[in-house]
Amino acid sequence: MTLIPHPPQRALPLHREMERVWSRPPGLKGFLTSVNHSEIGLRFMALAGIYFGIGGILAMLIRTQLATPQGAFLDTALYNQIFTMHGSIMMFLFAIPMLEGLSMYLLPKMLGTRDMAFPRLSAFGWWCYLFGGLILLVALAAGMAPDGGWFMYTPLSSRTYTPGVNADVWLLGVTFVEISAIAAAVEITVTILRLRAPGMRLTQMPLFAWYMLGTSAMMLAGFPPLILGSVLLELERAFDWPFFDVARGGDSLLWQHLFWLFGHPEVYIIFLPAAGAISTILPVMCRTRILGYEAIVAAIVGLVFLSFGLWVHHMFTVGIPQMALAFFSAASTLVAVPTAVQIFAWTGTMWKGTPRLSLPMLHLLAFFATFVLGGLTGVMLAVVPFNWQAHDTAFVTAHLHYVLIGGFVFPMMAAAVYWLPLMSGRVRVRGVGEVAFALIFIGFHGTFLIMHLTGLLGMPRRIPVYPDNPEWALPNLISTLFSFMMSIGFVLFALDLLLHALFGRRSTRDPWQANTLEWKMALPVPSYNIAALPVSTDITAVSLARGEGALPGAPRGRREVLAVSSLDGKAQHVAVLPGNTLLPVVTAAMVGVFVLLMLFGAYILACTAMLGVLVCGWTWHRFGRDLRPARIEITPGQTLPDQTGVEGSLTRSGMIALIIADASLFGSFLFALGFLSVIAPGWPPPDSGLGLGALLLGGVALGALAVASGLARWSRGPLPGALAGVLALVAVLGVALLLDDPTRHARDALRAAATGYAALHIGIGVLLALIARTRAPATAAASRSIWRLWQDFTLITVAILTLLVVAQEVLS
Amino acid sequence: MIWLLRVIAGPLVWAAGFSAVYALHGIGCARGWPGVITPLGTLHDGALIGALVVALIAATLIFVRRPRPPMAPEDRLIAYGAWIGLISVAFTLFPVIAVNTCSVTGT
Repeated sequence: MTLIPHPPQRALPLHREMERVWSRPPGLKGFLTSVNHSEIGLRFMALAGIYFGIGGILAMLIRTQLATPQGAFLDTALYNQIFTMHGSIMMFLFAIPMLEGLSMYLLPKMLGTRDMAFPRLSAFGWWCYLFGGLILLVALAAGMAPDGGWFMYTPLSSRTYTPGVNADVWLLGVTFVEISAIAAAVEITVTILRLRAPGMRLTQMPLFAWYMLGTSAMMLAGFPPLILGSVLLELERAFDWPFFDVARGGDSLLWQHLFWLFGHPEVYIIFLPAAGAISTILPVMCRTRILGYEAIVAAIVGLVFLSFGLWVHHMFTVGIPQMALAFFSAASTLVAVPTAVQIFAWTGTMWKGTPRLSLPMLHLLAFFATFVLGGLTGVMLAVVPFNWQAHDTAFVTAHLHYVLIGGFVFPMMAAAVYWLPLMSGRVRVRGVGEVAFALIFIGFHGTFLIMHLTGLLGMPRRIPVYPDNPEWALPNLISTLFSFMMSIGFVLFALDLLLHALFGRRSTRDPWQANTLEWKMALPVPSYNIAALPVSTDITAVSLARGEGALPGAPRGRREVLAVSSLDGKAQHVAVLPGNTLLPVVTAAMVGVFVLLMLFGAYILACTAMLGVLVCGWTWHRFGRDLRPARIEITPGQTLPDQTGVEGSLTRSGMIALIIADASLFGSFLFALGFLSVIAPGWPPPDSGLGLGALLLGGVALGALAVASGLARWSRGPLPGALAGVLALVAVLGVALLLDDPTRHARDALRAAATGYAALHIGIGVLLALIARTRAPATAAASRSIWRLWQDFTLITVAILTLLVVAQEVLS
Repeated sequence: MIWLLRVIAGPLVWAAGFSAVYALHGIGCARGWPGVITPLGTLHDGALIGALVVALIAATLIFVRRPRPPMAPEDRLIAYGAWIGLISVAFTLFPVIAVNTCSVTGT
């Protein structure tokens, strides 16, 4: 279907009409209620910048302590907290939120739409990030911060060796922030697949969107193992369920597996968006087109998969059988190939073009110099014999900083300088940025290049003093001196941004002559992005501002965008997005109260906070209840239905993405179950005593779930389906009562956790059925299809869990 | 969606093969499969090499059925996916043939 654009209108009235609908109220009320992607994206980036500053200050404290062999600057307990918080902040509170913010800010603009698919989810994610981060920071200020290292290995982080709340702060605070990451991954996925400009095929979209699609897929699959690990460890710490206790059938290595199942893909989750920024900025700086678009997309696909086959290389020294060492080593070296494909594509782009050495390009050159070195030391560490020598030394610290600062921070600084005119409508004040760049580049290499040598000389990570090793003193002192140079550089970089915001001249539109879609917006970008959605590639900024495209203005007083098919971008329906609301902040606050009550051991009260979350969830779905099915003219002569009558709604796509994350969580649980039953000592466990009663109740639960799944396919099914769900829930709770004491053995703890998983899913299924029930039949298609998806997933997972328990009983 | 599934079919086969080999290796070592002799060798060898062969056959089938020139951009991505799957299976799982011991070193 070729869409013919609307004829031009007067730009100013159109702008005012759009602003009335898309802008937010001024002041605190607007701050609390805004769901706009530009504002939320900027907030993510600003807060991530603040956390980066805090993490950087902690790094300086560490370097000061290590400047001399007998540093007396920090005592050991505080030092432990500081290096733990440095790593945790940089990973969880800086890198991931920064990439989320950048993609939230840019994606709708690059894809030619007006907002993310789920604006309230964006805002909810930001509030979760704020509250979760505050919990960690307050704990640091109160001297109760986590102190077991940023990967929280058990048994050090178990109750026996960390009796205070330090580890709980990490487990609950980070999980809180992870909720934000999953929320972002869901909506990034749906936005890229369903909200592109009409006619934009997947293979035509900007490379940045491909990179973010890969990143969000990795987040959906990669974060759940950590969430599961955190939940299991918190259950062990709070209720003594022995998942990681070797004496009772647990295994501390399970934590390492779950952590690195997340932790290694995490490196690529951080790198891919930065690579997306490079692939966008580099051709503009070189005044040419990117070389090897399809090869880069293939490299992204390769990285997304291969990066999940490397996690064990973080555990080469724990006692892994030789063959497993061999194939994890092979995968670790193979992953360098898709990375190299991108490096060659970028190098070829520079070779083909005419590079200009402006500030973004300087940062990109620094990226090449740094990241390639980090990649090479990564290949060294992938080789088992070398890994055994360098494991847990300063060599690894140097390697990871080359990869993360080279592969993320330099590209992000390039991105900041490149896209700032879009955000502020101003151009940079020349001079300060260049000095900042020089200080950061020289300071970084001065700090970390020599740290490789420190590591090869045998200095372990995370030690506060080294009085018996005078040979480490000079390299450490050099690292410390250069680290302060780097810090001054980062302060100047922040000053550059401030000067830009305060004194920068007004920018012309598209100051880099990029000619890409995001630069076709007015500067600074208005709340609605574009007055009309582009329907062809030969659009201009003026034509978009005059409404020459699809869905111009906001004549119905609603926030409307076009939903398209995922592959070819064919327009499918008009999606109405929610406006400003307090719901995200209230829901995040409820989750925050839940986390705090858990932290202080008030578990009963925490359940009441969960009820508050449920009430918020119920209120959440009320948006759109008043919509009635209608056909809307998107271009002259072309009408499409709105979302009310369609089954393939954005929410359904979001539910599919969420179920992928849930399936990853479930898969991680199956891994934990398999790992403990096969590897952990102390198996087989004592007799369970589960008998016919449990079997019957399990059968009733499965039968009721099967009935609910069947009813979910029937238009009058929601109420009976909800009742069937309640019956299943009662049966599962009955099974729970028959289980053995979960503190007795890891097998019993796993069964209790599986029962909790099943009960939670059945409960949500009941809620979704009731939501479908509240909708009028003509508008209930989307709600029913979402409930059906969830119900089917619940049925499958509960059936698998039941079969596994039965198999355990039969085989034991 | 079918197109996206075709693009990732090769990598999916690698993921399944890699997971299967890792799981079989762990189970075999824990259950003493290297000591179980069959007419074709040990049960451990048989299980691991069997998994490798199945993964290789699946990746090869996807590779053989990849689009051929002239190709649209969408087709080229399907072909690249097939290459990724086949090379990944062959390269990362070849240790199954070269090393199959359960012994632990490096501790």
